[in-house]
Amino acid sequence: MIMEQDRGDGAKVRVLIQKATNSTDSEVHPRLLKAIKSVVRSSDSELRVAAQTLMDLMKRDHSQVRYLSLLVIDELFMRSKLFRSLVVENLDQLLTLSVGFRRNVPLPAPAAVASILRSKAIEFLEKWNDSFGIYHRQLRLGYDYLRNILRFKFPNIQANAARRQQERMKRERRSKEILLSKFEMLKGNFSSIKEEIQSTLDEIRECLDIVHSKEDSKAMIPLDDDITEDFRPSELRQIRLDALKEGEIVHENNDNKVIFDALREVYKLMSKHLVSIKEWISVLVRVDSTDTRFRDSALREFIDIRNSLCAVKKRCEESGCTFTESANHDDKDEDFWEEGPVGATENGDSVACERKKEDLAMIGGSFTYERKNEDLVVAPTANVIKNAGTETISEAHVGKAVQNGEVGSSDSAPSLRNKLLADAPVIEWGSFLNTWDSKMDILANQRGLELESHWGRVDYDATIPAEKIAELNVRTSLYKEDQPEIQPCRAPLRKGGLCQRRDLRVCPFHGPIVPRDDEGRPFDTSSSLDETTPPDQEMGSVEKLVKQAVKNVRARDKEAAEKRERDKQALKRAKLAKIREHNEAVLRDAAVASTSRSSGLGECMETTGEMSGSAGNKKKTLALMLRKKTLTKDRISQRLLGIRSRDSTQRQLTLSQGANYGDAFPNQW
Amino acid sequence: MWKDIRDREAGKLRPNSFANRVKSDRVSSLQLSNHKDIVSPHRGSVNSLQVDLTEGRYLLSGASDASAAVFDIQRASHSEGLIAKYQCLFAVDKQHEHGHKYAISSAIWYPIDTGLFVTGSYDHHINVWDTNTTQVVVNFKLPGKVYRTAMSSLATSHMLIAAGTEDVQVRLCDISSGAFSHTLSGHRDGVMSVEWSASSEWVLITGGCDGAIRFWDIRRAGCFRVLDQSQSQLGRRPPISGWTANKLSTSKSHLASQGSNMKSRILHKKLATNGNATKPSSTTGKLPAKGSTRQRLHPGLLSSQDRAVSHYGAVTGLKVTGDGMYLLSAGSDSRLKLWDVESGCNTLVNYETVRLHTNKPLQLATSQDSALVFAPCMANIKAFDMWTGKASLTLSGHYEAVNCCLYSFQDQELYTGGNDRQILVWSPSRDSTELWTRRIGNPVQTKITGATDCPLPQGRSVSTLMPSIKLCPPCT
Repeated sequence: MIMEQDRGDGAKVRVLIQKATNSTDSEVHPRLLKAIKSVVRSSDSELRVAAQTLMDLMKRDHSQVRYLSLLVIDELFMRSKLFRSLVVENLDQLLTLSVGFRRNVPLPAPAAVASILRSKAIEFLEKWNDSFGIYHRQLRLGYDYLRNILRFKFPNIQANAARRQQERMKRERRSKEILLSKFEMLKGNFSSIKEEIQSTLDEIRECLDIVHSKEDSKAMIPLDDDITEDFRPSELRQIRLDALKEGEIVHENNDNKVIFDALREVYKLMSKHLVSIKEWISVLVRVDSTDTRFRDSALREFIDIRNSLCAVKKRCEESGCTFTESANHDDKDEDFWEEGPVGATENGDSVACERKKEDLAMIGGSFTYERKNEDLVVAPTANVIKNAGTETISEAHVGKAVQNGEVGSSDSAPSLRNKLLADAPVIEWGSFLNTWDSKMDILANQRGLELESHWGRVDYDATIPAEKIAELNVRTSLYKEDQPEIQPCRAPLRKGGLCQRRDLRVCPFHGPIVPRDDEGRPFDTSSSLDETTPPDQEMGSVEKLVKQAVKNVRARDKEAAEKRERDKQALKRAKLAKIREHNEAVLRDAAVASTSRSSGLGECMETTGEMSGSAGNKKKTLALMLRKKTLTKDRISQRLLGIRSRDSTQRQLTLSQGANYGDAFPNQW
Repeated sequence: MWKDIRDREAGKLRPNSFANRVKSDRVSSLQLSNHKDIVSPHRGSVNSLQVDLTEGRYLLSGASDASAAVFDIQRASHSEGLIAKYQCLFAVDKQHEHGHKYAISSAIWYPIDTGLFVTGSYDHHINVWDTNTTQVVVNFKLPGKVYRTAMSSLATSHMLIAAGTEDVQVRLCDISSGAFSHTLSGHRDGVMSVEWSASSEWVLITGGCDGAIRFWDIRRAGCFRVLDQSQSQLGRRPPISGWTANKLSTSKSHLASQGSNMKSRILHKKLATNGNATKPSSTTGKLPAKGSTRQRLHPGLLSSQDRAVSHYGAVTGLKVTGDGMYLLSAGSDSRLKLWDVESGCNTLVNYETVRLHTNKPLQLATSQDSALVFAPCMANIKAFDMWTGKASLTLSGHYEAVNCCLYSFQDQELYTGGNDRQILVWSPSRDSTELWTRRIGNPVQTKITGATDCPLPQGRSVSTLMPSIKLCPPCT
């Protein structure tokens, strides 16, 4: 009884598996898979049946079936120990059928699926080996064999993950070490840092105090005045107060210049301190040191310091010193060697760039700097601009700079200069300008510095000829397309005003862009598309009608042409069909003439062909995956080489032979 | 099992047969061992395996990449969880200054101790190595590729290496002098397999690519026997002594058709009674029926006899059973044949081989009481019943053809080497131990074993006891 039941269940599993693997999808249907799993879970005998069925399916001569059954195998393999032990017993067979590593047992037909099957099988093998290799020697062996002897490429998922994990760990450890070392350093010179900041703070406070005390002494008098004479109107009083507040903002003058300078200096120092304090705090927060006591105390103190620094800074800013400006001035000094931002519009930067040019000139070993820069006057113009405070220049365009310079210093020989400038090419700035137009040879081994190098003998008189220099300095110039200006749409909007969208041809809201007058009316009303124009637009009705008529006529013409074309095609097709029909009829006749049996065969063949064709149209099947696409050529060749036609031609040949014979010997049989 | 132990303690069961029973139990449950992994250092197919004859502990392997390695199979070098890994103690390969240039086809231990081992290679050389210094101590240059080398485990008066080569002549290399002592000519093609008789130190058996198996007595010129596959009738044997002879004749008549443990045991007894008397000189004397003709023919056998073949195609493997009475041969005609050494008859046992591979020498193995034959059949190893030829086990684990198998009597383990460069260990499954414990769980059995306590501690005592059962060789 139990046996019977088992057998029935086994059949169920078998049917399920067969159904699951009989599909053209790249996945097993999840519901079927679930059903298989639930059925298999119920008893061991079913699992055995499942394993057997799956192995049988793996032997099927179709990669798709193998692929799907491999997916099912993997699902069960990862879940059931019994299934693992069953599969592992003939793992080599499974691998042969799924990886296809044996040359005499290649993977079957649909090549695309076969390659997917192979890669999947390799992936699964690796996964299985990682998870269960320790329990099954066969798994280890198979994995080793494919990897080390056949040199299959495994995805190496786990190893990669482990390596990535390790790298991350290493990075974390390193950053932790760095933090720790910083922490240790901080521990070492905590007091000195604190002292330094404290002294800076004190200094800045003193400075502020001095400034304010001076101001106070001045400001006290009017204030007193104010208090005593309180009969004045409130407006005046308000003005007065404002003025006072304004007066509190200390202005720099000759008296307190020294103090302000000091203040600026200290302020700068303080902002640096603020940054470093923030860094220290972050270090303290992130580090996990054993010395928590020190950490906490240091953190607390740092936070205090930061707060006081912030307070002082605020005070400084309130006191109205022009620190931002001063900061800029400092930048000017500092940015000496730095690359100026491209297209910078600040005076400071232009100065920096000028200095840079000087440096470059020096390095280039050019002695002709003064002489040849006379025409282009780059350096002086920059100064001029700065002094005059005229327009901003972009450092890239020397030509513009020159023109500006012209504006600034328009004093000497304007006519010649202008003429020359009109001729002068506009080029980008570069160090080659130092040797612009020079005819001198250049000493190759002189660079303006006395350097004693010990790399052997140096010919200090070596020169590079001028033509060589000129050759080296040949510039390339690139053609730059200038952007056309895109016209705004300028269609009138409902809420008033004109549409300001800039589109090349068609505005998405108001149709094609046409020139319009100031009120948004188009100049040229005869534009082709009139449907798009709003209906409230005024328009000549006659014109409209005419256009409509023209359009109608055109459409009709078009339609007629199309129809004619279609008719022609249909005719052609009909003709072709007729020819085909005729051909077929001839062939059939020939076949009928040959033997009755072959004709019957032919009929049968045709019907089956039709049936299979209809089935193919209806649904994609596994068999269809295997079958090659039949082309017209194949069909023709089939027809030509088929039995019927061969027979008929042979018959015809013999017939004609007989006829010839008959003709030749009419009175003989 | 426990009944057996009790019987042995009581003296009802001979310790010998007890051990044999346990061993055959274990052999029948061989499977790929999961907890014993030999880490193969070879980068070519493993051609030869041998465990040393003195301790049964050191496994010597020779491979196609001209490397030979020695493993300690009793002590794992390290273990990963359950899996004990056996790394080679040392390996010699091409990098060695006197190493072989081409594939090592055979690597054998010096039978007396583990101080020397011998390797024969396709580079026409036979090297004798000192194990401790891994240096070549003697070197023989042969005229062709060496297919197989063999040393007699019985020899007391000589230390000759028999070498089967591409050449038609079999050469015996004398280690003590470093020269060829004998050149045995008779084969018409290369010699793929060489085996010393297990019963006489003077008898050498060679199998050639011409399909002939020849027996040589190295004290005389020429071969004294060529096995003929068509000669399958046993002649009448001379009566040795009363009942044994009777039994023997009946057993012999049945032998070709079917075999059983009983018969083999009888044969075993016969060996014991015969003792050392199976020397070829005495053998010839003991066969009066044919003795006269053979006596006359010996210097150069009859030409018809001389042309006899034992296999169609080459003889790729030879193996003498432990008692020296039977000879197994494997041929490139994919057949295994069992020969009666004494009469030189084909016993016509039909081994259910599927396919043997043909172009390489094979190494066969037998279990301790010659009950099972292990033969490499392409990528599998099959265990056949020696007397019926029925395949009792098919061991599949290799991914390419297996070249050699070796049965370790001591541990009842099988070692196999194949073209996939692996050396696999097949050991008795642990299920057999479970089987015993299950039997213990049976109350009747518990009664018999005298365990009156609750069965739980009994089971535990079993599991602790099991590994400690020492399966020592049968004491006499």
